Amino acid sequence: MSRYEDDDSEPEEEEETVDEEEDEEKDLGRGRKRGRSQFIDDVAEEDEDEEDEEEADDDDEDFDGGGGRGGRRPPPKRRSGSQFFDLEAAVDSDEEEEEEDGEDDFINDAGAEIPDDDSRRMHRRPLLPREDDQEDVEALERSIQARYARSSHAEYDEETTEVEQQALLPSVRDPKLWIVKCAIGREREAAVCLMQKYIDKGSDLLIKSAIALDHLKNYIYVEADKEAHVREACKGLRNMYAQKITLVPIKEMSDVLSVESKAIDITRDTWVRLKIGKYKGDLAKVVDVDNVRQKVTVKLIPRIDLQALANKLEGKENKSKKAFVPPPRFMNVEEARELHIRVERRRDPMTGDYFESIEGMKFKDGFLFKTVSTKSISTQGVQPTFDELEKFRTPSENGDGDITSLTTLFANRKKGHFLKGDAVVVIKGELKNMKGTVEKVDEDKVYIKPKMDGLPILAVPEKELCKFFKEGNHVKVVSGAHEGATGTVVKVEGHVLIIVSDAAKEEIRVFADDVVESSEITSGITKLGDYELRDLVLLDNRSFGVIIRVESEAFQVLKGVPDRVEVLTVKLREIKCKLDRKQSIKDRFNNTVSVQDVVRILEGPCQGKQGPVEHIYRSILFIFDRHHLEHAGFICAKSESCVVVGGSRANGDRNGVSRFQQQTPTHMAALPARSSRGSRPPMQFGGRHGGGRGDDALVGSTIKIRKGAFKGYRGRVTGVKGQEVRIELESQMRVVTVRREDISDNVVVTTPYRDSSRYGFGSETPMHPSRTPLHPYMTPMRDSGATPHHDGMRTPMRDRAWNPYTPMTPARESWEDGNPGSWTSSPQYQPGSPPRRTYEAPTPGSGWASTPGGGYSDAGTPRDTPPAYANAPSPYLPSTPDQIMTPGSASYLPGTPGGQPMTPGTGGLDVMSPIGGESEGLGFMPDILVTVRKLGEGKVGVIQEVLSDGSCRVSMGTSGRGDTVVTVLPQDMDIVPPKKSDRIKIMGGVLRGFTGKLIGVDGTDGIVKVDSTLDVKILDLVMLAKLA
Amino acid sequence: MFFHIVLERNMQLHPRHFGRHLRDNLVSKLMKDVEGTCSGRHGFVVAITGIEDIGKGLIRDGTGFVTFPVKYQCVVCRPFKGEILEAVVTMVNKMGFFAEAGPVQIFVSNHLIPDDMEFQSGDTPNYTTSDGSVKIQKESEVRLKIIGTRVDATEIFCIGTIKDDFLGVINDPAGA
Repeated sequence: MSRYEDDDSEPEEEEETVDEEEDEEKDLGRGRKRGRSQFIDDVAEEDEDEEDEEEADDDDEDFDGGGGRGGRRPPPKRRSGSQFFDLEAAVDSDEEEEEEDGEDDFINDAGAEIPDDDSRRMHRRPLLPREDDQEDVEALERSIQARYARSSHAEYDEETTEVEQQALLPSVRDPKLWIVKCAIGREREAAVCLMQKYIDKGSDLLIKSAIALDHLKNYIYVEADKEAHVREACKGLRNMYAQKITLVPIKEMSDVLSVESKAIDITRDTWVRLKIGKYKGDLAKVVDVDNVRQKVTVKLIPRIDLQALANKLEGKENKSKKAFVPPPRFMNVEEARELHIRVERRRDPMTGDYFESIEGMKFKDGFLFKTVSTKSISTQGVQPTFDELEKFRTPSENGDGDITSLTTLFANRKKGHFLKGDAVVVIKGELKNMKGTVEKVDEDKVYIKPKMDGLPILAVPEKELCKFFKEGNHVKVVSGAHEGATGTVVKVEGHVLIIVSDAAKEEIRVFADDVVESSEITSGITKLGDYELRDLVLLDNRSFGVIIRVESEAFQVLKGVPDRVEVLTVKLREIKCKLDRKQSIKDRFNNTVSVQDVVRILEGPCQGKQGPVEHIYRSILFIFDRHHLEHAGFICAKSESCVVVGGSRANGDRNGVSRFQQQTPTHMAALPARSSRGSRPPMQFGGRHGGGRGDDALVGSTIKIRKGAFKGYRGRVTGVKGQEVRIELESQMRVVTVRREDISDNVVVTTPYRDSSRYGFGSETPMHPSRTPLHPYMTPMRDSGATPHHDGMRTPMRDRAWNPYTPMTPARESWEDGNPGSWTSSPQYQPGSPPRRTYEAPTPGSGWASTPGGGYSDAGTPRDTPPAYANAPSPYLPSTPDQIMTPGSASYLPGTPGGQPMTPGTGGLDVMSPIGGESEGLGFMPDILVTVRKLGEGKVGVIQEVLSDGSCRVSMGTSGRGDTVVTVLPQDMDIVPPKKSDRIKIMGGVLRGFTGKLIGVDGTDGIVKVDSTLDVKILDLVMLAKLA
Repeated sequence: MFFHIVLERNMQLHPRHFGRHLRDNLVSKLMKDVEGTCSGRHGFVVAITGIEDIGKGLIRDGTGFVTFPVKYQCVVCRPFKGEILEAVVTMVNKMGFFAEAGPVQIFVSNHLIPDDMEFQSGDTPNYTTSDGSVKIQKESEVRLKIIGTRVDATEIFCIGTIKDDFLGVINDPAGA
């Protein structure tokens, strides 16, 4: 020891260079050295366990006495430094265990270098000390040997009891542990230096060991009996600042060395989270571990702003130095190339894998491979969420892949994870994939009863087990985002289950580990704060919605926006209040809708859905349809687009009620696709005359604008409000508002009805599936052949394709041209009257002008007074539905045979063509009774023969055997309408030419028994002619 | 599966029904009350086939109602796990389809539909094989296997699968 005092100056120099407190320190160092020698001689010898402060005091005394540097107090720094040390030591070593044991740990577990150091020291220790200081060293040697013998014994003896272990704990007689400050990051180096010094100097060095801990920066531990020994050892080492040496209390000694064993080692495929930097908090997967360098290569989703990177590469300085963290996104190499970022493809020399390298960052499959220090990742309590894991799953990874990664998840299991009776599967080890049921759970061993017969109960570590479910199991989610939900397993994908939840009938993906089998049925949490599932709530920003899901901290709210679905996740505080006002509202047909009424949605994305109204707010209905799978069955719809099911629908339209009227609702139902505009006309068809809903009679009519910006435009009136009229223009897709006096209302108001009703009734079926009803509508028309109807309808319609609901144009033209006023009195009305001739021209080219007239008269005449139309005030109006309803009649008279025309177009034609088509000899047929008007007195005759020019040879007299045979032009003849029980001949339809007996008359229909087949058919009376 | 079992129920009868037709009233009320209901234990009560026994009525104090314990035979329908059923598809969506076998509603998730069948949205949403030979849409009749039941107090809901041999469409109205 005294030897050391001699070469005082040398280490002093060393110290100076390193130390911050330069000149002061010089003096201090000298003083201290002196003090130290004193200290070593007496003070230290006496009280080894002295407290720092006392030491300091001693030092102080030394300064005063020995140094003779009058009044020079030690710098306060030192004092505070030692205090700090004390604190540090206290913090670092809080527990109590035996030193020897700790040393064992150290040998076994610590990093590669230290054990070397240690073991070498251990080897040499017996060799070297023999040279000098024999007694002292030999005593030491004995004690060391004794100690290590014990410890090695303990190491190999497996049956170490706790008592024995306890005996190994350091006592006052054992060497102490001192904590010495050293340069940051040089801890290991310092320890190695000490080792080297020991090798070089041998027994001169009285320290026992030196320990550098990875988790402790700036300090190393030195084991020695006395502080002076430590000081001696540190002397001359530039890495170590020996002026601050602190004793580690005995109790805490073992802890110093047991810390390392607590750190869990990082292995490949574990999930970790980064603790610092741009990726702080991000999930990463360990792909490589370098234990020696304490580095870990992790795979994570890059957060790289390519644009910023490109700018940087181009040398542009990024001005905005905000703490903006780009969102995680997979790296797209193409994208990077587009931004002229250099992307290299490199092969990793270690693994042989190829990486894309950008700016020194390695990428593969879009992931960033980053090498970080083990200290900057946290491995504890990493609970990746499902979404995070999903992102990491690459298609190539199969089920096995996620098992390994899932093992981390298992590390976070709660206690009591497995219960008796749970079905489990072994996921690791030799028994992999073995299934069984849990019999007993011990700490972390689980005793399972294998499913296979003949196997004993096995104990399996908990970590190697995973819960196992089969499709069809009813389970409850006990942890994770969906906690509390229940459902039935529909698919098992490795360790991920797909569950159809009971409440919302939606699919949830959960880890098998997060669920338990349960027969309980819940919808998860249903209440949070004051709000419950299905409550209507007012949100902050004046919007509102119904709660469709309650999550652990937020609600999912279906917002009250009709026609589109908007789901919002809101926090509790974002909800203003609950709305439970009971109000009622009008539906499309002015029926009152109140809560719990069942309504059907007529339009919008959810058309056709039906269910009870749960909430009403601001003309928005929230409808619950249990068949609706989304949004917990809730549908949000405008009240105007709904109709009460079972309500009286034709509220305001009673005056016009007809048989057709009654059908309207069904048509309506069948026509949900129509916009309100489109479906209004049929409603008003009846209501118009009686004023309906108080709308102007104008509504729905087609008018021409006389003045203003839209002068000359034609359009349909969609609404009247005071002096303003809203008109939907025909030529433009828009609705305009004009003053009432600016429109010409001498247009025939009824016109559109005819047509709209034609649409509404005649052709509702083809219309609704397509938004362009033109084509569906045309199809039946085409079937009817080249008829005036066909062409007449089709051409103009095409032109107005934008508005499917105003195909009235041709009709209106015809009406206008045909002057409805005149045709009521015109002979057109009577079948066989001359004007029909024009119509009779079978070519489509024939003038439209007369066509409708003929058409109507034919269809309408016999039906002038059917009871159903009694209310209809205008003479031609009834004909309208009649004409159109030909197929309709088939529908409302059950049992009508299919022989009847199925479409309005053909209906009209079949009736008409035979009657009017005498130019081809089709109209009249032999053997029927006709009234011949030419002779003035209207004599009855029987057609004997139809001539090729259309005229007929008629034998006068009812019997047909009269002598007078005259040739009569078709327009001079009328068919004699048959009466009940008359023998008839069918003039039209598929049964044309057949004879039969009229066994009854129902309105405009005749019930006919056909002779040849004995079938009973219901046919239009117009098509029947009395047989002679 | 259908069972013919005997159940018991306490019927409360209003005094106005007393008289000659008491028994008839009781039975008709029983039918009204019971038929079509579902109990988790027994399943759906399809029909009452007979009355076993009507016990002595007990007049309730204060109301005048009389409680009769009635034992009745009935046919119940109770779906079981693993049971093969034939059902009519009622709704098809992207998550799968719903089918009904009598009163039992069965959901077949798209995970439980053979992988070669794909969902086709449109006017009539359906599941179709790639070659179009098999199509499941509304009104199709399918044979399915129940893999899970959820028993409520008032409802039995089943999860079914057609991903197995001999399961699937047995009669397709559209295909015919």
